[in-house]
Amino acid sequence: MTISSRAAEQTPITRPDDDRAQEGGAARRRSFRRPSGYAWILPALVFSVGLLYYSVGYTGYISTLIWNGTAPDVTHVGLANYAKAFSDPVFWLTLQHTAISFVVTFSISTVLGFVFAALLHSRPWFGGLYKVALFVPVVLAPAIMAPVFRQIFANDGQFNWLLTHVGLGSLAQPWLAQSGTALAVILAITIWGGTGVSFILYFAAMGQLDPELLEAAELDGAGNIRRLASIIWPNVRGTTLALATLSAIGALKTFDIPYLVTVGGPNFATEFLGTLIYRTSIPLGAVGYGAALSILLLVIALAMAIVLNAGRNKRGARTDA
Amino acid sequence: MLESRRRSSRLILQIVLTVLVIPFVLPLVAMVQGSLAGAGWGNYVAVLSVPELPLFFRNSALIAVATIVIVYVFTMLAAFGFAKLHIRGKSFYFWLLIAALTLPEVVLLTPLFATMTSLNLYNTYWAVILPLSALQLPFTVLLARNFIDGIPDELIEAARIDGASTAAGFWYIVLPLTRPIGAAIIVFTLLGAWNDYLLPLVFLVDPSTQTITQLPQFFVGQFSNDQTKVLASAVITALPEVVAYLCLQRLFERGLSAGALK
Amino acid sequence: MFGIRSGRRSAKSLAAALIVAGLAAGALAGCSSSGGSNSTDSATKGSITWWGWTPEIGVGKQYIAAFNKVYPNIKVTYKQVATASYDAAIRPALASSVGPDVFNIAPGGGIGSIAAYQGSALDLTPVVTKALGSGWKSKVAAIGPAGLTTSSGKLAALAVGSTFAGSVWINPDMFSKYGLTPPKTFGDWVKVCSAFASHGVTCFEQGAGDPGFNMDLLHSIADSIKPGVWSKAAAGTVKWTDPTLVQAMTVFKSMFSNGIIQKGAVGVQQYPDVNNDFLAGKTAMVMMGTWYMQYSTLAGATAAVSAAGVANAKPFPMVSIPFPDVTGAGNPAPLFGDADYGLAVNTKSKHPKAAETFVTWLGTNTAAQQVVANSLNDISALSSVSPKWSDVTLVDPSTQQSTLQSLIGRASKITEPRLGDLSTALGQAMGVATASVAAGNATPVQALTTLQSSAKG
Repeated sequence: MTISSRAAEQTPITRPDDDRAQEGGAARRRSFRRPSGYAWILPALVFSVGLLYYSVGYTGYISTLIWNGTAPDVTHVGLANYAKAFSDPVFWLTLQHTAISFVVTFSISTVLGFVFAALLHSRPWFGGLYKVALFVPVVLAPAIMAPVFRQIFANDGQFNWLLTHVGLGSLAQPWLAQSGTALAVILAITIWGGTGVSFILYFAAMGQLDPELLEAAELDGAGNIRRLASIIWPNVRGTTLALATLSAIGALKTFDIPYLVTVGGPNFATEFLGTLIYRTSIPLGAVGYGAALSILLLVIALAMAIVLNAGRNKRGARTDA
Repeated sequence: MLESRRRSSRLILQIVLTVLVIPFVLPLVAMVQGSLAGAGWGNYVAVLSVPELPLFFRNSALIAVATIVIVYVFTMLAAFGFAKLHIRGKSFYFWLLIAALTLPEVVLLTPLFATMTSLNLYNTYWAVILPLSALQLPFTVLLARNFIDGIPDELIEAARIDGASTAAGFWYIVLPLTRPIGAAIIVFTLLGAWNDYLLPLVFLVDPSTQTITQLPQFFVGQFSNDQTKVLASAVITALPEVVAYLCLQRLFERGLSAGALK
Repeated sequence: MFGIRSGRRSAKSLAAALIVAGLAAGALAGCSSSGGSNSTDSATKGSITWWGWTPEIGVGKQYIAAFNKVYPNIKVTYKQVATASYDAAIRPALASSVGPDVFNIAPGGGIGSIAAYQGSALDLTPVVTKALGSGWKSKVAAIGPAGLTTSSGKLAALAVGSTFAGSVWINPDMFSKYGLTPPKTFGDWVKVCSAFASHGVTCFEQGAGDPGFNMDLLHSIADSIKPGVWSKAAAGTVKWTDPTLVQAMTVFKSMFSNGIIQKGAVGVQQYPDVNNDFLAGKTAMVMMGTWYMQYSTLAGATAAVSAAGVANAKPFPMVSIPFPDVTGAGNPAPLFGDADYGLAVNTKSKHPKAAETFVTWLGTNTAAQQVVANSLNDISALSSVSPKWSDVTLVDPSTQQSTLQSLIGRASKITEPRLGDLSTALGQAMGVATASVAAGNATPVQALTTLQSSAKG
């Protein structure tokens, strides 16, 4: 902020706008209401797109090599790394986990976020405190929380202790040790850290709803549940779709939580594309194979972005009409 | 939102809310409890007396501030361009940028190393700041574009009829109105920069350039692991973020409420 | 970049903003340059950096302080990198021109693998010959150079000390509390564990989510059945499906079902979980190696117990016992080990002579090796040096000193590698094999067959 304000002092931006015509011409006049914006988006594009797309291109090149990332000797192997990925059962397993992760974390975070938003809009006591409690998990890095969760879900951890003390002792089990439950724990941690975002976005969206709409429903005698389901929920659909996109991207990028809590185990039960790429590229030093997996991740991500966006546009068109 | 005219129904709402929020609070309680086990407050004393702590803190702050400045400036310019100015093939450029949202850090490690080495930036803060900013920009541009979209064109046009340039319109009309979304951008960028572990680890060689995320390492050896002090460092590391969030909370919520994401 | 629209005010103000940002940035870059001196290299002067995942920062500083008493003009900066992150950080650093002058490498294919980084290491044969004479090999523990010499005969790093696995550590207070004696056979072990279980106490805890420590356990079982088969399999001269190894894997599997290994072991890591539970007095036995000797000292034990989250920490006199004879074959209790780490000198170092001085001092100087030996973390690399017990304060010397001495005595004769003969890929495949058996997803034969096929491929 300070940088921008200093810039303002140095540049006389209030001078009359006299040199516009010379570069504008007819095109400019036609779009008088919309001056050209290339110069404005250029820094971000050059910077972000430049750096990241260059990296993607470079990754594409590496994916055709057998290489440890730094050694001078490289072997060109064409598409062999991709063939290897498709025949690697762990790769398919990670896709399955990603899909499960998306469906579970998206639905639970969305429902919870929506309910919290509705409850906190109903003027409870100490609303601010509840908001902070929900958002602090978003603030904390997975690296900070990983040891805490490992402790909580250990065989003699707080979660089993709690189950035993509320009379559900028969459900107590070594959560992180079993292929079947480890993934559930990873998803629970993801939901814990992500619900704050869903909540805050729904909370914001509900604040924008037309009060008349709600009053009309009240006169109608609609009950709370019906009101939530048939009036509020359809009106925050935009937020729900945005959250779907964010959750899908988040599921594909999953890395920290499974890496730090279960190291992808036991027995690949919590392996995700991110952890597989890291393990392949860094400890195993197979940078070429890791790059091929990275490119596959990007292809999937792009395909998904296109599908989600297409669905969104269609829906948007329908409601606008 | 929900109807709770009667005291009893309001009480029920409050109870439901409290029960639902408990699972979110318990891990935080466990964290603080763990950090006080063993040597008690002595754990915090031990963490605070790590001689490198002020240095790590400064480095993290430096990286966070530089990242925030870059992200903020570039985001505001681009978001204004995308929302209010004429660009042929606008949606193509926009999607080019937004598609980068899907790039995870771990995919970029090897190519970034090659890039940073050839730019002579390896082992400078730039090797961390630039990728962090580049990865943050797509999301913040998305947020800010939607926000600026919601500013009525008439406001900006009125300024233009008064003879102000596009830049002046941006400066005097748009920027002041975008303070709420600016707060959201600052919070999200701060979280990304402050919590980052991988990039400083790989791209900063000098021991004097390490960041705060390396702090727990002082209490973890090859064959030892002091969880109590690891948790105490976690609490200390998280405090500035929580404080920053609390300070910007109001603006932050307003920023997101003006239809930032829909 | 903004020249396209330079006539426009908007572009100008943008440019101005960016220039200011750029200036701020320039100041930033200034902070980070370390400004290494370019003076000519000297063996007694200079500033060097050292990277390692071990020793701990405090111990590293202790070594450097002792070094600086002899070489006050060589400034050593030690940077400890998290074990799990070491490879991620060191690979690019060594490829760059600003990497560390001295860095840790280890035998085998695990962290800091010699196979991965030998290309960046100077041959240290000349300096070690200069320091110890041409018969230097007889003066250091053979296990050091064995794991740190490349296939082409280059001594890539100098061992500072070694660690050995195969021993089991017990909490004697817990045994005496319930009137139990440490197990000598497999049958004993099951009985002891069911006795502990009847008191609601964990008997033996294993971090079965940690491939490295599963391998230690399996390796010990195999050695107790028939010594040497494991090493032959690692070398490829015996198949992993050898009957001895199948039997070992079957015993390993049975430990998860007969109550020796705690419930939920697959989700537990040896560090920090098992380590903390043992130090906090929650479990009576753990499988840890000679690096656990450091917790025999009063100071080491007190700090470690407190670090495990126990308030008003009271240390207990832990001792090691030989690995129980699982099949009654009567073979000597297994012990196998490697150089814990070796110090390598970066080929791109700007101060290689100063770096060599430091490495040689820590690896071959009697006074330096005495510091290493007394810390009881590593067994010293120099054969002539052993811990000076008068300088070491144990929790309970009457029970601990003699077991420590016999452990060190046994270890110093061992030449069987722990990790030194396992490549990265083989280590990974071993991890999969042990985890799938432990989790009950594969039978011992299935897991070993898979292992054998990936070892070949």
